[in-house]
Amino acid sequence: MTLGRYASRRVALGLVQVLVVLVAVFLLVEALPGDAAVALAGDNPDPARVAAIRASMGLDQSAVERFVGWLGGLVTGDLGTSLVSGRPVVDFIAGGLPTTLLLAGVTLLLLVPSSVLLGVFVARRAGRGVDRVVTAATIGLHAVPEFALAIVLVALFGVTLGWLPPTALGADPLADPLVLVLPVIVLLARPLCAITRLVRAAMIDALASDYVRHARRLGLSRSRVDYRHALPNALAPAVQQLARTTDWLLGGVIVVEAVFVIPGLGTALVDAVAGRDMPVVQGLAVLFGVTTVLVNLAADLLAFRLAPRAGTAA
Amino acid sequence: MVSAVVVEVVGLRVEVGRALVDGVSFGVGKGEVLAIVGASGSGKTTVGLALLGEFPVGAGVSGDVRVRGRVGFVPQHPGAVLNPVRRVGAVLRELATAAEVGRAVEAARFPRALLDRYPHQLSGGQQQRLVLAQALLCDPAVVVADEPTTGLDRETRDEVVAEFASIVARGTALVVLSHDMEVVRALADHVVVLRAGKVIESGPAAELLTAPRHPYTRALLVEPLRAAANDAISAERLRIEGLTAKHGRNVVLQDIDLHVSAGECVAVMGPSGSGKTTLARCIVGLHPPSEGTVALDGRPLARTLRSRSREDLAAVQYVFQDARASFDHRRPVLDQVARTAARLRGMSTADSRSAALAALAEVRLTEETARRRPATLSGGELHRAALARALLARPRVLVCDEITTGLDAVTRTSVLRLLAALRAAHGLTLVLITHDHAVADHLADRVVTLHNGLVRNSKIGNP
Repeated sequence: MTLGRYASRRVALGLVQVLVVLVAVFLLVEALPGDAAVALAGDNPDPARVAAIRASMGLDQSAVERFVGWLGGLVTGDLGTSLVSGRPVVDFIAGGLPTTLLLAGVTLLLLVPSSVLLGVFVARRAGRGVDRVVTAATIGLHAVPEFALAIVLVALFGVTLGWLPPTALGADPLADPLVLVLPVIVLLARPLCAITRLVRAAMIDALASDYVRHARRLGLSRSRVDYRHALPNALAPAVQQLARTTDWLLGGVIVVEAVFVIPGLGTALVDAVAGRDMPVVQGLAVLFGVTTVLVNLAADLLAFRLAPRAGTAA
Repeated sequence: MVSAVVVEVVGLRVEVGRALVDGVSFGVGKGEVLAIVGASGSGKTTVGLALLGEFPVGAGVSGDVRVRGRVGFVPQHPGAVLNPVRRVGAVLRELATAAEVGRAVEAARFPRALLDRYPHQLSGGQQQRLVLAQALLCDPAVVVADEPTTGLDRETRDEVVAEFASIVARGTALVVLSHDMEVVRALADHVVVLRAGKVIESGPAAELLTAPRHPYTRALLVEPLRAAANDAISAERLRIEGLTAKHGRNVVLQDIDLHVSAGECVAVMGPSGSGKTTLARCIVGLHPPSEGTVALDGRPLARTLRSRSREDLAAVQYVFQDARASFDHRRPVLDQVARTAARLRGMSTADSRSAALAALAEVRLTEETARRRPATLSGGELHRAALARALLARPRVLVCDEITTGLDAVTRTSVLRLLAALRAAHGLTLVLITHDHAVADHLADRVVTLHNGLVRNSKIGNP
C-alpha cells in the first residue's frame, strides 16, 4: 500500500473518530444529573423559573435537535456561551490556548532532539558504564510524578536559591521567558526518560540486525550506518510515545499549570468544572478529543513511513 | 591455479570454545569459482566471513587469510540484510556515484525502475540481484556468496546462477558456499568439502562431483528415492473439483481440478505466488475456497477447519513450511506431539504419550530429545517431530508445504527417505508443495505445475 492510499484511509478513519468524540462528549454532558437551567436557577430553584430558563436556552427541545444545533454551531465555530460569565466558549479557548501551545511547543522542541540523541548515545555504548548510569537515572526520574518534581524545583531554585521565578503569576511568558524554565523542565522530565529508553532499546535491536551488519560490510562509516540505517528503524516506537506526550501537553497539564499558576487550557478546564460551566467543559472536551485524533493521525502517518512493511499486512 | 591468485587461505583455524573451522587451506585465482560445500554447521559461513575479515565475537583466529583486492559479499538471506525503511536506490547511491550504481545495477541485471522501491516490494529474486549489485559496487576482486539460491524457485535460481556466471566471465573470482549441488555443478571449478570445520575432500569440480572419494561427499550428492513401484496406487482418495480461492478480491486459484489416488504422491510446483500454498491450505481447510469442493474418499469435506469433524481433521494432516514456528516455544516437543493423539484420536494422556514416543521413534527421535523444548532442537529434528505429530493422527492424506526448504542436503535426504518409507508403510497419499525439482524428482509420481492460479501442466513422473 502506498503512503497516499494509507493516508486517505487513515484520514477517513480520523473523521469517524472525531464524530464519535462529538457524540460521546454530548452524551456525557447529557447524562449528568440536572441541566444548565437547574444550575443557573440557584440553590433554591423555583420550578417556574427553571422552566423559563429551559425555554430561553432551548433545553426543552429533544436531545437530537439540540445535538444537531450544537453540531451546526461547532462547524461555524460557535461553541456556545458560558453559563457563568455569558462569554463565548471560544474566548475561553482563545485565552488558554496560546500559553498551552507555547509550553507544549518549547517542551517538544527540546524533547525530540535531546531524547533521540541521548537514546542513540547510550545505545552505541550499551552495557558500558555511561549506559548504566543513564538507564538508572532515567528510570529514577521517570518514577517522580510531576507535582513532586515541580514542588522540589520550586523550593530549590525558586525559593532557596532564588535563581528563577517560582511562579508565572501575572507574568507574560513571552516578555519574561525565565518563568517558563521550571515548568518546561517539569514537563520535559518524564517524557524525556520514556522516549530515551524506547529509542535506546529499539536502537540496540537495530544495531544488532543483519542489515546494519551488512551496511558496515559495504564500507559505510560508523556514524552513517548508525544514523542513516539503524536510527530510522529505531524511531517507530518512539513516534507513538511522542504522539501520546504531545497529546498530553496540548491538553494542558493541569498539575503543572496549577503549581506554577500558568493560565493555560488546563486551568480553564479546572475552573469550568468547578463552576459547573457545561458549555465550556463541552467545548474543551471537543478540542482535546479532536487534538488526540489529529496527533495520532500524524503519528500513524509518520510510523507508516518508518515501517513501510507494516502497511502491507494491514 | 592458472592465473593471478586472488584469495589465499592457509591453515585457517577459528575457535569459540570449540573449533568452528580447523586447518582450512585453499586458493582462488582470478575468474575462478570455488565452491565450499557441506551440511549446515560445517563451518562454511565462518570461512566465507573470514575472507571479509569478519569473525565471531571473541573468536580465537590463527592461520593466514590473504585477499588481493576488495571482497564483495552476497549473504544467505538477502531480505534480512536490506534495510526495511530505506529505498533501495538511495542506499546504493550512498555507496557510490550514480554512474557506478548504474554499472553495478546493469551487471547484476537489477531493473532500474525498481530503484525507488522498498525492499519488501521486491521479489526474492530481485532482492538477490540487488544484494549482488551492492557487492559489485566496490569493484571486488572476489565475491563471496553464502547459499545464494536458498528459498528461490527454480526459474529464479537459474537466473541467479546465470548472473554469477557472467560476473565470473568478467574476471571476478567467486567463492560459493552452498549445499545446493545443482548450483555447485553449474558454477564451480574447484570444490572443497567441509565437515565439522575440517576439509575432508577437495579437488577439481569435474573429478570430485563425478567420483567422490569420501562417503560423506557421496551422501551430499542426493540419490533418487522414488518408491519403486506404483502398485499401491488404487482407488481415488482426494478429488478437488472447480476449486477457486481468493485473498480479498485477488483470485489466487482458479477452477482447479485435481484427483489423487490412495498411496499416490503428487508434487505441486510453480513459482512463488502461483497459489501452491493456498491450494494446500484449501485442502486442509485453513483457507475456505470461494467455489468448488474438496472430497476425501468420495465424501465432500467441509470448507473450514472449524466445521470439519474430528475424523476428517485426523484424515487430512498438514506439515508446515516453518517447522520451528509450528511448535509452541514453551512446551516440550513430546507434549505437543502427544496432543494430536489426545485431541484427534481421543486417547488418554498416558496412552497419547506412549503413542507419541512410538511415532517419534519412527522418525528417529529419542525420548530424551523429545522431552526438550523446541528451541534446543535443530531444524531437521523439528521437521521430523512435525512429521511425527502429523502421522500420529493416522492421516489418509498428508500435505507437506515446502518441508525441505532451508535444510542441507544430508538432512533433506533423510527427511525425503523418511517420507518415502512412511508412504510405503502406511499407504499414505502425499501432496508435496515444493519448488525444489530434486524433491519432486525423488518422491513424486506426478507433478502438477501451477501458474498464476491455473494448472499449467500435469505430467507423470518417470518411475
